[in-house]
Amino acid sequence: MSDPLLKVEGLDVLFTAYGQTRQVLRDISFTVGAGERVALIGETGSGKSVTAKAILGTLPRNATVSAGRIEVEGRNVLDLPRSARDALKGQAFSLIMQDPLSSFNPVFKIGSHLDDVLRYADRRAGVRASTSERRARIAAVLRRVQLADPERVMNAYPSELSGGMRQRVLIGLALLHQPKLLIADEPGTALDVTTQDEILNLINTLVAEEGMALLMITHNLGVVRKVADRVVVMRHGDIVETGPCTQILHAPAHDYTKGLLDAVPPLYGARVQTQELSEKPAIVSANALYKEFGRGARRFQAVRDVTVTLREGEIFGLAGESGSGKTTVARMMMGLARPTTGTVTVEGTPNPGRPLAQIVYQNPGTSLNPKRTVKQSLSLPLKRAGLAGAARDARLAELMGLVRLPVSYLAKYPHELSGGQKQRVAIARALAADPKVLILDEPTAALDVSVQKTVIELLLQLRAELGLTYFMISHDLSLMRNFCSRLAIMLRGEIVEEGPTPQVFAAPQHPYTRALIAAIPVVTDAEERLKPAVTPEERQAFLVTTTD
Amino acid sequence: MQQNPFLAILTRLGTFVLVMIVLSIMIFVLARVVPGDPARMALGPTATPEQVSALRTEMGLDLPLPVQYLSYMGRALHGDLGMSLLSQRPVTADLAQTVPATVELVLAAVIIMFAIAIPLGVMTAHFRDLWIDHVGRLVSLVGVTIPSFLFAISLQLIAARYFGDWPIIGRMDHGLGFTGGPTGLMLVDSLLAGRLDVFLSALQHLALPAIALSMAGIGQITRITRSAMLENRRKDHVLTLQSFGVPERVIIFRYLLKLSSIAPLTIMGLEFASLIGNAFVIEMVFSWGGFASYGLNAILQKDLNAVTAVVLVSGLFFIVANLIVDILISIIDPRMRRKEAR
Repeated sequence: MSDPLLKVEGLDVLFTAYGQTRQVLRDISFTVGAGERVALIGETGSGKSVTAKAILGTLPRNATVSAGRIEVEGRNVLDLPRSARDALKGQAFSLIMQDPLSSFNPVFKIGSHLDDVLRYADRRAGVRASTSERRARIAAVLRRVQLADPERVMNAYPSELSGGMRQRVLIGLALLHQPKLLIADEPGTALDVTTQDEILNLINTLVAEEGMALLMITHNLGVVRKVADRVVVMRHGDIVETGPCTQILHAPAHDYTKGLLDAVPPLYGARVQTQELSEKPAIVSANALYKEFGRGARRFQAVRDVTVTLREGEIFGLAGESGSGKTTVARMMMGLARPTTGTVTVEGTPNPGRPLAQIVYQNPGTSLNPKRTVKQSLSLPLKRAGLAGAARDARLAELMGLVRLPVSYLAKYPHELSGGQKQRVAIARALAADPKVLILDEPTAALDVSVQKTVIELLLQLRAELGLTYFMISHDLSLMRNFCSRLAIMLRGEIVEEGPTPQVFAAPQHPYTRALIAAIPVVTDAEERLKPAVTPEERQAFLVTTTD
Repeated sequence: MQQNPFLAILTRLGTFVLVMIVLSIMIFVLARVVPGDPARMALGPTATPEQVSALRTEMGLDLPLPVQYLSYMGRALHGDLGMSLLSQRPVTADLAQTVPATVELVLAAVIIMFAIAIPLGVMTAHFRDLWIDHVGRLVSLVGVTIPSFLFAISLQLIAARYFGDWPIIGRMDHGLGFTGGPTGLMLVDSLLAGRLDVFLSALQHLALPAIALSMAGIGQITRITRSAMLENRRKDHVLTLQSFGVPERVIIFRYLLKLSSIAPLTIMGLEFASLIGNAFVIEMVFSWGGFASYGLNAILQKDLNAVTAVVLVSGLFFIVANLIVDILISIIDPRMRRKEAR
């Protein structure tokens, strides 16, 4: 055991764009030993994905490695010719991609991807194998990743499999050649929390059984606790801290790591915040809502018998996984969609001439028009409200003050803002028309955890200042534990559990709620122990089996 | 949630019938409201008013428009599109003679279009911003901006100046004494009859008009293919294959090309309209004797039955072309197949 399996030493990477050169990695050094599980964590722009690409040799054309070595079993791969580097792919190390949908070409069958990967790897290794032999080997690998019907999977197009199945195929793809090192780039991030949990368990099992090493790239500290022995913390292209997993998570040395851990909303323990219940009258109430899409044989009930009351001043959370119908409920409550049967009663009185509710969307990158300045985006609702001239300018300044942005930012375009600043602009836009209720549709899902923390704080302050009522849709239960005063859990169009947030977490009644809470990746072992117990049968019963 | 595919096809055919009915009503009314009396034009300036009104009665022009339309459609459904005033023959006979010539020309143009534009698009995308890309851009620009008749005339001039023997009008050399065959497509009929000399002559005749006709499409489809290739190149699935060491040529020619052919195919369906429109001009320049030049004469002479028939056949061309495009796309893209069935 002289050389570690992977040794990165003094790695510098430069990116050149529009004639400007930027250093994205500075003096990166770390090792991964055989059979070791190492996590590379950091927020957006920390350079963790670039590091993985540099190791794999898939950096974009405008990137150059200006200094450093990447050694695989003692050989510097940066000195190898292209063909020798290609030969390492899949054999020495394999990559598990982040987004299981976009990682497959939509017009080719799953089997075709797998077969081509295997065929060219065989050819490089000088192996001659027939199509049927390869098919048999692929089927064996697919069974390894717990896909029960390999033939069906191979003959399916990517769009015909569920997200979890696609992620499993991607893992299978990485296993085709028994690599020594598995590099996983945020696996499961695009999936539901219960599916993600399954995928992480699978990766853990495979790594242990095959004796592989794992380099896990993630921004989720809960995931780190689950799958890593050692952690490398990155920030803006530098390594800030390296250490064993328990030490980093429980006694970090660096302030940045501390801040990062602090920003993670806790699920249990002393740091948990509890929002007070509201005793005020209802502002919107929905009674026995049903919503159907499609007709005839394709009829699909998206929402079944949902009755909820939104009280003035409360933060109501509607939690559920993809396809559970939570967004449809929110749209019906705001009058954006009409229920098939059932009624929505607006009890509160909106400000004269203004709508009662406004919405803040998940992704501020796409909900703001990239060709309009902040001022133009904010002016539109003000114009509708009849504000002009000096009055409008005053209101614009007031709105920017509310979301804690300098007035000078009014002249900026969305691409000049960070993700958190964009979301603040989106909140300001929602506030422009003086709503009583804000619908928050996963308002922080696209943000880094430290940014999420500041946005959540802002929302809490705004509620206190303006007396707002929030209706939040999310799948992030640990965030909702700290942010919502009341919580409802949706499963396949129905509300299966509802109650004050602390009560739901302390004594979850429905098995699905228990499964959902148990699947959340948490940072400390203490929290892990406080999670409700779930039997394997229960967990299996509620795995979402959507096929699109 | 698969559904009966036959139902999907039936729905689609129903839409086509509807489009044809609307088209027929529009052209029927339009042809009759534009100024100029067809009977007067058919009989010439020397005819007496009595002769004109007699012909008008005979043609049914005195009847109200809806009645005229219904009786026309009733006969059309039985395969009777009326008599052409110009040729004094049934319109169907004229069409049978002229449509195959146009079909041959348009098909040849489409083949040339794809044969040149797709490889050019792939190359310009691959060698982005290198000299090949600039040449490709120039070719596209020339193809899109220069009107097709200018190409037609230039090609004729070049052929006449430098290749003295190259035929620049007609569909084949009449000296060969070939009278045609069952399909009406010269290239096919000559092969069926085992006449290689006729085949070569027909090919020679076809080359110039087909190239002239395809130029505009080549420009467009090159650009569309290029941008589709470039866009799809950036996708994650390319990275997946790259990171497992699948060779670049396989990624480009197998994975990217298939995915990137959807956009040009879609454009092709729309392009068909301008292809037929351009065929009217090209056929005139090359004395092609297709149904486009037949239609042009009919319009100029206000030959009502012929005009209506020509427009309907053009519409049919367009619809069939788009049906083929839709079928091709649904073969390529499984997501479309599922949407169809839904």
